[in-house]
Amino acid sequence: MLLAVLAALAAPLLAPYDPLAQNLGNALARPGWAHLLGTDNVGRDVLSRVIWGARVSLVAGLVSVALAVVAGSLLGILAGYCGGRVDGLVMRLMDAVLSFPPLVLALALGAVLGAGLGGVLVALGVVYTPTFARLMRGQVLSVTARDYVDAARALGAPAWRVAWRHVVPNAMNPIIVQASLSVAFAILAEASLSFLGLGIQPPQASWGSMINAGRGYLQQAPWIVFGPGAALFVTVVGLNFVGDAVRDALDPRIRG
Amino acid sequence: MGRLVLRRLGATVPVLLLVTAGVFLLLHLTPGDPIDVMMAESVDATVKETLRRELGLDRPLHVQYAAWMGRLLRGDLGRSIRNGEPVIESVSRRLRPSLELALCAMAISLVIAFPLGIVSAIRRNTTIDRAGATFALFGICMPNFLLALLLIFLFGVTLRWLPISGYMDPLEEPWNGLRSLALPAVTLGLALAAVVTRTLRSSLLEALAEDYVRTARAKGLSEWRVIWTHVLKNALIPVVTVLGLQLGTLIGGAVITEYVFALPGVGRLVVDAVFARDYPLVQGVVLLIAIGFILSNLIVDVLYGWIDPRIRFR
Repeated sequence: MLLAVLAALAAPLLAPYDPLAQNLGNALARPGWAHLLGTDNVGRDVLSRVIWGARVSLVAGLVSVALAVVAGSLLGILAGYCGGRVDGLVMRLMDAVLSFPPLVLALALGAVLGAGLGGVLVALGVVYTPTFARLMRGQVLSVTARDYVDAARALGAPAWRVAWRHVVPNAMNPIIVQASLSVAFAILAEASLSFLGLGIQPPQASWGSMINAGRGYLQQAPWIVFGPGAALFVTVVGLNFVGDAVRDALDPRIRG
Repeated sequence: MGRLVLRRLGATVPVLLLVTAGVFLLLHLTPGDPIDVMMAESVDATVKETLRRELGLDRPLHVQYAAWMGRLLRGDLGRSIRNGEPVIESVSRRLRPSLELALCAMAISLVIAFPLGIVSAIRRNTTIDRAGATFALFGICMPNFLLALLLIFLFGVTLRWLPISGYMDPLEEPWNGLRSLALPAVTLGLALAAVVTRTLRSSLLEALAEDYVRTARAKGLSEWRVIWTHVLKNALIPVVTVLGLQLGTLIGGAVITEYVFALPGVGRLVVDAVFARDYPLVQGVVLLIAIGFILSNLIVDVLYGWIDPRIRFR
């Protein structure tokens, strides 16, 4: 996990070769000292592309979840705070989004928004928004019933101030836990969409699209698939541990 | 039980209406003119205008929606703009491979998860339990497409035991059909097995700590009888919940699995429609998948009531 973050931040320094530089004379070269993870079908260094691909994966995971946290939290606060018809409308909308299998919805949205990282980020942001909206609404309903919120209202604080100063800070812990757990799944989803051809477009490096490009060479050059595959798997395992650690640290039931 | 079904059906109707509205608006989210996006620049302007009229895009949005809903209620989900085939026919032709894949994957996941989950819970903190936990972590973190390629590399390319793509109907050619579904079903089933193993283990551990289990043991029942008669049914509710929650992941996984193994199922149809920019087909198939997903969740909800009678009276 730390390796992936380091690779994403210092890709220009760590990558031994230009990730886009082709060398047809050295195509499908086996892993060795010159190319630690071998080369792909047009002679590009697989390790350099894996390092640059870390950037795309982490950006996709973090930005899409951040979009979902912001949109979901705002909708959750709106629903929980306003109640009544607004609550009903927002929550039915969220139920409708949840009625689509996540990848199918992301695929359909990616299709209409166009291939590329921007479309994928928005699509994944939409897919994860209902989870945060539901969570935030539940938290707002529970926090607004507390005495200190009543006290703030009694002192004449406007609704937005009560929400911003008293409700949101006390409702954020489960959101942070869910966000840390969601990043791993967002990275997997981005890789899946890139694998299907909707994410980052060639020749730019992304783990999903590299694996898709390498599957045609599975017999001659399996390293094209297994290099980015191992990076993706290890990153997702690492993020799962981070998510679990954040949950253990913030969830009062587990913390005891 | 009937009241539970009616209550759940009532809650489903507004969601279904919003889902149809969402799918309808999908076409209108396209940046720019959807007709230009669907058709190449070189296509004649009159052909584009004909398609625009056929899809009703020259009319106001609310009129378009009313007409679309009217057709939908008559069972007309539109036609592919590429081959003119009605969406409903395209889907029904491809439903069988998808259902066979889902059933095989479900069977594989339960065959793996039940023994592993039960043994992990009974033999807590032993090597078997740790192996079960490692398997669960592997299954949850491993992307479908990567697992598919690993299986293809091992069983298709290296050992040459199983076909790596294509489909034969197991109902017509049982042996070759099952062989063609083996790798896709294992790909899809392992991820599900991982989640079910983890859930079953933790819910069994919770149930094993209950007083009625101590009573059953005190009566002198064998450990297996305690598990089978008293613990398992109570531990099943979280497993059914997780199976319901995993349906979406299963459908998403099926899209990728069908794509990798070139299975002619509904998932493959979605991917093909997306890349052909055949939006009416995308709309129709996505709507059908969403309706199938909602109905499956409805069945899971009703299943709770059957497993746990307390839920019926809440």
